[in-house]
Amino acid sequence: MNFDIYTIVYILEIIVGGLLVGVGVHFVPVGGAPAAMAQATGIGTGTVQLAAGSGLTGLLAAGLMMSVSDNIWLILASGAVGAGIMVGSTMLAGSWIYAYAVGVPFASAKVNYDPITGFSQPPYVAIGTVGHGIPTVCFVSGLIGGMMGGLGGAMIYYPLYLINGNAALSAMFAIGIFLVNAVIASWNIQGTIEGFHDPKFKKWPFAFKACAIASVLLALASVLITGGA
Amino acid sequence: MDAFSMGLIAAMGALATVAGASEDIESDVGSQSNPNSQVQLAAQVGNPHRIYNKAISGEPPANALWAATAAIVAYTLITAFQMPALFALVAGASVAALFNGVFSLSSYFGRNSSQARFNQWIYLDMVRYTTPSIMAHAWITSFCIAAISYIMVYMLPIPHPFPMPIIALIWGLAVGAIGSSVGDIHYGGEREFQNRQFGCGLNTMLSGQIVRKAEAGLRNSIDNAWFCTKFGGPATGMAFGLTVFLDNWRTTVFDPVTQASFAIAMGLFFIVVMVIYNNYIERSLRKKYGPYPEYKGDIAA
Repeated sequence: MNFDIYTIVYILEIIVGGLLVGVGVHFVPVGGAPAAMAQATGIGTGTVQLAAGSGLTGLLAAGLMMSVSDNIWLILASGAVGAGIMVGSTMLAGSWIYAYAVGVPFASAKVNYDPITGFSQPPYVAIGTVGHGIPTVCFVSGLIGGMMGGLGGAMIYYPLYLINGNAALSAMFAIGIFLVNAVIASWNIQGTIEGFHDPKFKKWPFAFKACAIASVLLALASVLITGGA
Repeated sequence: MDAFSMGLIAAMGALATVAGASEDIESDVGSQSNPNSQVQLAAQVGNPHRIYNKAISGEPPANALWAATAAIVAYTLITAFQMPALFALVAGASVAALFNGVFSLSSYFGRNSSQARFNQWIYLDMVRYTTPSIMAHAWITSFCIAAISYIMVYMLPIPHPFPMPIIALIWGLAVGAIGSSVGDIHYGGEREFQNRQFGCGLNTMLSGQIVRKAEAGLRNSIDNAWFCTKFGGPATGMAFGLTVFLDNWRTTVFDPVTQASFAIAMGLFFIVVMVIYNNYIERSLRKKYGPYPEYKGDIAA
């Protein structure tokens, strides 16, 4: 393969995609097992699980768009919107269950007032728990995170497809790079986070650095390997 | 857009709804869901139980494995042996269900035998009549997802560039993520975990104190499925059905070649509607349920 200026641009695009995934995971409000028991605010699953589910749904939308268009903005927007629809419908269905089956009001224990709606939170937090449900701020934060994941996935897929022209190979590499960055970010999160209003969110620069290193290595490997195929 | 492709999109939405529901119930019968952390703890805090326990992996990777297995087998039979699609999908789902059976059995034996020192038994009758139920639900999930992938690759007017197994892998990850985000909350509200007042979360002091006895006899995983089928499963199905349907509907109604920006704008419109709907639920809950009477702080409700 020729290692020219385009290859460097492709590598940079993959790195930016990886960083978008790494930072985006911090926005997704996940409460893990405690949230499934209505003990913690957010979605009752793990960080990587939801980020991967939404981001890769975005990858499907981006892949479809890339098969009919070579406009990078349309492809990236398709990835982001596809991921947003997945994470939005997941959180909405989760809200139905919190509201109508478990019977808890939505409340965050990390802030006194919801930064978006201004609703007071502590009076609605059940004793012995750290919040429950998906308040508006968490919902919006989750959408931002999911869409960043979809954007990142599309941003990784786009250059890989341009290099090798093989959708299957590019998709597998995109899934791999996506998961590596999502896992690194979730180590930084240590289990649960409520979104951009959570004090833990301030730790994102650590994940940013780690994801940057991982993405550089993965970008080099994927460009070389797929380029040689 | 023509009537045929619109019908295909509707069929995909229906298949996704069934896949979501069966995925959630499969994970509840096998207790692979997030609330299983309590089941795992139960024996250690002195409550040996008869709940099936196969949580050795998160739901998304597990379902991705089964869906991708079904799609790989079906894809091979279709391309290499020219088998009719429906038979190939059935054969693929059957292989995936066998994988699921091996996974479930080994994790049940492994989990429970490792807790032998806490008096946790391995119940062979549980293994005999719960494992087939888990496998049956896994069959439905993998069949539906492999069928969705088949439609996306071979039947839609704009075929998806990814091969069938990769699409099945991604939808498998998505259905697992949705099942674990949506259905698990309902499983967490099941009677097994109802050592608490209605309308509040489980106090962390009560971790591991699961309900093991019914009016007559000991409770088991089939009881959990009976409850979760009523709302958790259908809600998971709704979420996955919405994801598959809305995502494909906008690119079918608006031609991605000439009207791509409309397809993206429609997606953004769906997202905004979801934010407004969630905010409506939040406001109505605050009005109906009100603040907790035990709250002693000085922030006004």
